[in-house]
Parts: sequence; structure tokens; C-alpha cells
Amino acid sequence: MSELPPPSAALPPPVPVAEATALPLTSGARPAPVRGMIAVNEVSKFFGSVVAVSDVTFAIDDGVTALLGPNGAGKSTLFRMLCGLTPPSRGAVDVLGFDPRHDRDVRGRVSLVPQQDALFDHLSAASFLEFAARTHDVPNPERAAHEALTAVDLADVGPKPVGQFSKGMRQRVKVAAALVNDPEVLILDEPLTGLDPVQRRHMIELFHRLGDEGRCVLVSSHVLDEVAKLGSRVLVIAQGRLVASGDYRDLRELMDDRAHRIRVGASDPRRLATALVERGLVSGLSIDDRNVMVDTLDVDAFGRQVAAISVELGVRLTEVSPLDDDLESVFRYLVEGR
Amino acid sequence: MTEPSTLSQDRPARHVPPGTAIALSYRVVLRQLTSRGRIIGLTLLALVAPLSGWALGTSDASLDDSVRLVASVGLGLVLPIVSLVFAGAAIGDLREDKTLVYLWLRPMDRWPIVVGAALAATTLAAPITLVSIVAAALLTGAGSGIVGGTLLATVVGLVVYVSVFTLFGVWLKRFIVWGLAYILIWEGFIAQAGPGVARVAMRAYTRSILVERTGADLDLADYSLAMGVVVPIVVAGAALALASWRLSHQDID
Repeated sequence: MSELPPPSAALPPPVPVAEATALPLTSGARPAPVRGMIAVNEVSKFFGSVVAVSDVTFAIDDGVTALLGPNGAGKSTLFRMLCGLTPPSRGAVDVLGFDPRHDRDVRGRVSLVPQQDALFDHLSAASFLEFAARTHDVPNPERAAHEALTAVDLADVGPKPVGQFSKGMRQRVKVAAALVNDPEVLILDEPLTGLDPVQRRHMIELFHRLGDEGRCVLVSSHVLDEVAKLGSRVLVIAQGRLVASGDYRDLRELMDDRAHRIRVGASDPRRLATALVERGLVSGLSIDDRNVMVDTLDVDAFGRQVAAISVELGVRLTEVSPLDDDLESVFRYLVEGR
Repeated sequence: MTEPSTLSQDRPARHVPPGTAIALSYRVVLRQLTSRGRIIGLTLLALVAPLSGWALGTSDASLDDSVRLVASVGLGLVLPIVSLVFAGAAIGDLREDKTLVYLWLRPMDRWPIVVGAALAATTLAAPITLVSIVAAALLTGAGSGIVGGTLLATVVGLVVYVSVFTLFGVWLKRFIVWGLAYILIWEGFIAQAGPGVARVAMRAYTRSILVERTGADLDLADYSLAMGVVVPIVVAGAALALASWRLSHQDID
């Protein structure tokens, strides 16, 4: 095998969130391969000089696992490798003990909900599902199609072609198509996109039900709140690397324990900053002409007191904005520790 | 959802039999290819052949003139272009609109997908090309020999062009551009340079069939009837085999 270019970004090792799915990423001796219904061992994927996935190792079994990462983090590429749609450049992907790229028979036991909004638009939902069932050699395709449509609340949708469906309905058809073959491994790439809150809740309940039945359900998302509802197990991927894995509650705690950055616009930022430091509300700050940039460990206490302090000082507040409440800041923290 | 209790490592592997896979691929590709605009556009293009055949038939044209017209307009233009549009899109469109994953990610071999897609393209291209080109031959009024030769050459040409352009659709992103380049530049221009180059132009074989069956005098038609039939069929088989291999090994979006 020819030598491939090394990953471009030298990132720190992942933040260990919890003991679940412990990552064998210690330095020194080569770690033993991980095992599970899905096992990914030291997998990298390069597209020319672009590193899409870099040295990722994890194993997951039955139940729901969420894969969290911003757009472009490598989630879809990882999913494509798990389904055999593209081979890894390095490392090994193992699904139910098979190589998904080369072992044809495992394809009947795995289902993918692709991220792209692609369906055979001329078909009705029932026809599309029956087609999906027949391409899996399911014994009773009509029944399997009906049951899968029922599972996503589309049993009564009628003969309308899926090309005329809303985005949310199309998304549910894709999920239903992934259920017709009774898969042991279900890989869902951003399946909640386009769903209304009620459907989103139903879908999350469905995923949990499938996980409870002993299936391995891997769901990707770039929305932190979705991941909170999806499951307790989480894998976090950023810049193609697995940066954290474990229990979601530990991840949340980790996020809550870090310093939060807030921009406070004030008529006299210097005076306000002095008062904030004196009262021990900040762990760090910087000042410019109109703003105080504050780092605080207790965002609630800060929020409660900053208005009172400004009134007390006679300083007019023009803005109080959290700067790191978005997902990007979560990844930045996990990847870069800041 | 069917019985979840079936989850186990011992679950028997499902495998779609090749015949079923061909039928599934055929049906879905046929429906995907059937767009009113595409069929009307290509039918209008194909009408050029009978129209020019009729025009020639009204004049005092020789057999050589009639054969030349069928060979250039029918076999050289209508047949490859109609085949390209349908066959290139057969898998090319699925690849581009990202629906190929619904066939690729299934417990079935790759070759039935390719064969089903090629059959679907043939189903749509055959009536348009056969009717228009044979009608052109008839309308020239040059006798029954040209009609039989045209029919055989069109069938052979259809098989090879559909197969080769199905391969283009599997392999190339801009399959229409590459296909047109092959038809217009390679077959229409470079192949004229001599018999060595003409050997890799399918047009040389269909023209040979026409010449063998009519006795007309036509350049770029140096092969026997057997060669004219066998070589394109072998090329068609090789193209479909290569397309199947490529489909197995390429990245799918």
C-alpha cells in the first residue's frame, strides 16, 4: 500500500468524557482493536490532500448512540465508510463482524438513512417502501412496507408521489425505507432535519424503541439539543477527529464547568470591569472602548448581578451577549481546550 | 417493522437473486428515464432520418446515395445520440441525483443493476431509433435489401452503443459531453483517418453490415457481416462487464 499523507492538523487527544466507549488512544504500544456491532479501528479517510476523517477509533453495540459534530466534521464520510459506500484510506471498519465494503451479505442487515434528500420522486411512499423491501429480498414486501410506514406515521399518506411530499415527510419516508429489512444496525445521517417538533419527538422515541430491541442505532446531528434527547451515549467528532466520547450528561457537565465568555456593552466599560473583578464575578476579562469581554465560571450569578452593579455604578448597559453558547464553541472547547 | 426478535448473528443472509435484481433495476431505471421532455426531444431529433429519407426518395437517387444517407444520418447521428441520452442517464442520473444508494446498498450483485439499467435504456431507445431509421431506409425507395440491412445494423448498433454509453454513465461525471465527443469527434472525424483508427469506431461495423447486405459502395465499411455483428456484441459485453466492475469499486454518494 502506498504511503498516504499524514493528517494535516495536529490536534490534542480527545477529551475523555466518561468511561463508556473508552478510547484506546494512549501513547506507546499499539492498542488492541476495539470490538462491537460497529467497530472502527484507526480509520482515516483522505480525499487527495484533504483529511476528511483522521485516525478514528470507537466501538458501539446495541442502543442509541449519537454522533455529534459540526457541518463538515466528517460525520457523513464516516457513515459512508460504515456502510461500505467508500473504503477507508487507512484502518478497518467492521460491522456485525463483516467488512461492509466487500461482504455483500452484511448489507441486508444494515440500513442507512442518507443525509441527502434523494428519493425516487415518481413513486408513492408505499411503492418506494415496497421497492426497498424487494431490494432487500424481504419475504412479504407489502406487509414490511406498511409496517415501516406505520412506524413513521405515514400509513395513511395515500398514493401521492413522494416528489410532492414536504421535506419532513420525505425524511420520514427515508427512515421508513431503512426499517423495511428489519436491520440490526441502523445508521441515520441527520434524520431529524426538516421535522416539526412533534415528529422530531416521535422519531426520537422510535430510535429509542429500536435501540431497546437490541439494534445498534447510530444517529448523527449537528444540533446539541437534539443529541441531548437522542441518547446518553455520544461520540463527538470535529475536524475529522473523534474529540470526545462517552455519556452525554458528562459532556454537558464538562461544558457547564468551563468558563463562559460574555460580551457586556457599557457606557463606562473600565469602571464596570473594575467592579466585576472586585466582586469576584469573573475569571478573566478584556476591555475595549465600548465593551467588556468577560470570562465567568458562574454564568447565572453573573447574569443576576451585572444589571444591579451597573445601576449602582450609574453605568448604562447596551448589551449582554453570551459568545460561546453555540455548538461551534463546544467543539472549539473540546478540540482546543478554550 | 417485522419481528425484532430475529436479531442475531445467526440470521440467514439475504441475497436478491440476479433475475429479481435485474427486474428491480430495470423497472426503477425505466421510470426514472421516462420523462416527456426527453422522449419528445429525441423523437424530434429522430424524425430527421425519415424526413431526409423521404426527401432523397423524391429525387432520382442511387442505392449508394440511399445507403450513405442511412449510414450518416441514421446510424451515424440518430442512433448514437438517442442511445447516449438514455444509456448515459440510466445509471448516470441515479449517481448524480444520489438515488443510486438505494440499489447499491443492497444484498445484490452489481452486474444485474447494470444489465437492468441497460435494458431500460434499450427499451426506450429501440422504438425511437428502429422506427425512424428503418422508415428512412424505406422512404428512400431503394428496395428491400436496404431495409433488412438497416434493421440489422440498427439493432447491432443499438446494443453496442447502449452498452458503451451505460459504461460512460457509470464512470464519467459529464457522460453527455464525453459521449458527444466520442460520436462527433472520434467516430465522425478521427475514424475517417484510416482503417486502423476505424477499428475502434462502432460506426465502421454498422456501416459494414449495411454494405454487406446491400452491396453498396461506402467508405469506412471494410468488415465482413460476421465481424460486423460479432465485434460489437463482444464490445457490448465487455462494456457491461467493465461497468459492473466499476460500479463495485467506485465511491457512492
